[in-house]
Amino acid sequence: MSWPLLAAILFALSGAPALAGTVWVASQQGARLSRIEAGTVADAAAVPSAPATVAAGGGLLFLSHPDGHAITVAEAATGRVLRRLPYAGQVFGLAASADGRTVFATDWSGHRVDRIAAADGRVEGSAPTGRDPAHLVLDRTGRLFVADRESRQVSVIDAARMERVATIPVGEAPFALALDPAEARLYVGNVRSNSLTVIDTTALKAVATVPAGAMPYGVAVSPDGARVLVTNQGAGTVTALDAASLAIAATIGVGRYPEGIVVAGEGGAARAYVANWFSDDVSVIDLTSLKAVARLPVAEGPRSLAVASEGGR
Amino acid sequence: MRLSLLALPLALAATAALAHGPTPQKVSQSITIKASPDAVWKVAGDFAGIGQWHPDIAKAEGKGGNGEGGSRTLTLKNGGTLTEGLDEWKADARSYSYRMSGEPDLKALPVSSYSATFTVSPEGDGAKVEWMGRFYRGDTGNEPPDNLSDDAGREAMNRFFSDGLKGLKAAAEGGKRTQ
Repeated sequence: MSWPLLAAILFALSGAPALAGTVWVASQQGARLSRIEAGTVADAAAVPSAPATVAAGGGLLFLSHPDGHAITVAEAATGRVLRRLPYAGQVFGLAASADGRTVFATDWSGHRVDRIAAADGRVEGSAPTGRDPAHLVLDRTGRLFVADRESRQVSVIDAARMERVATIPVGEAPFALALDPAEARLYVGNVRSNSLTVIDTTALKAVATVPAGAMPYGVAVSPDGARVLVTNQGAGTVTALDAASLAIAATIGVGRYPEGIVVAGEGGAARAYVANWFSDDVSVIDLTSLKAVARLPVAEGPRSLAVASEGGR
Repeated sequence: MRLSLLALPLALAATAALAHGPTPQKVSQSITIKASPDAVWKVAGDFAGIGQWHPDIAKAEGKGGNGEGGSRTLTLKNGGTLTEGLDEWKADARSYSYRMSGEPDLKALPVSSYSATFTVSPEGDGAKVEWMGRFYRGDTGNEPPDNLSDDAGREAMNRFFSDGLKGLKAAAEGGKRTQ
């Protein structure tokens, strides 16, 4: 496949962020996908053992199995497992193209990111990262941002060419990251320095690093871009930072060892969903009042969530 | 244009026990103690005072007190050393959270990193102490040897917590410190 054609497939369909979709949470110990809808756990599906992270794109869900040498592909409408993609490495973070044809994976112990065909698992290209690459995100212009946990940096990779175009120093042990809706800013949680780094995605430079909370393990941004939400694993809280001032606007109690966080819904219906790894439930936060409004039990060890857009495109 | 997987050195597949891996495991122990939560917290709340009740610890030295940034260095009776840093210390909730802050010492515990929370709460006429945490096995690569596996880490962490809680119970109920 020529790269212009590939780029077209990859990025032409990279539409609006999936806000009004279905929230899925992956439980590591329980090996299940649970679907959260209208404030309840609506559905659950068994998946292969120990999924660490989940990503959504094009009506599909992708699950990483770091100890299982595999990526699971499931149907976003039902959670039903479609196929297993063998992976020659220790896969951790995943990001899917909007059309679901391509999934990008970090290899934690291989210190690289791979571009993988979702149909058959073929590795189409690879790029080196820093040490222990954790989560990654794909922007609408086709750039990957990878949190290089043990290199204290974010690697920026041109996803079409699979070439690293920049490295941006951040805090100690960056793990999770999130783009704001305009994709002008990237927020990075630094686990060991208890801070959040703000990156200007045009200049590809860090513009601020501010206190977040004890062990930030997950980051999300409200649909209007005004709030940055950070899970603090060491404190059992979510901090909501004001995006303009970067001051902490609220600290919200959630379950034990919160990790992944996503935002779904818009306006007054916008909610954040937090995977509480130790307490085996999901906290739901109202983004207007900045209060936790529900705790939903799920299978053991929920770590990661994804929002699947409606209709599957 | 494409970089073949074959071009990547195979050596990259192996990982030394470094700092962190991708699959954390749970550890959790609890015990009930016939003493008031305040009395138990008085014994157990001092972060660097763990050496006075944990039977597996030969020596505990603290720096920075009980607050964010405080740390303790534990010398275990098995010869290993652990350095831990406080993330939160909340007297009103009788709870503190900390993490391994130094290099892993596989002789002390066969794990590459961990964080944990210690909480004293009321239960009936007495107290319940919960000690729970999240750890990563000693070899975070895909094919860990048995002695650095998830199971080995779980067994060692649970034993360390359980031994500590038994020692704390003896110290708090006996009215005197055992170590």
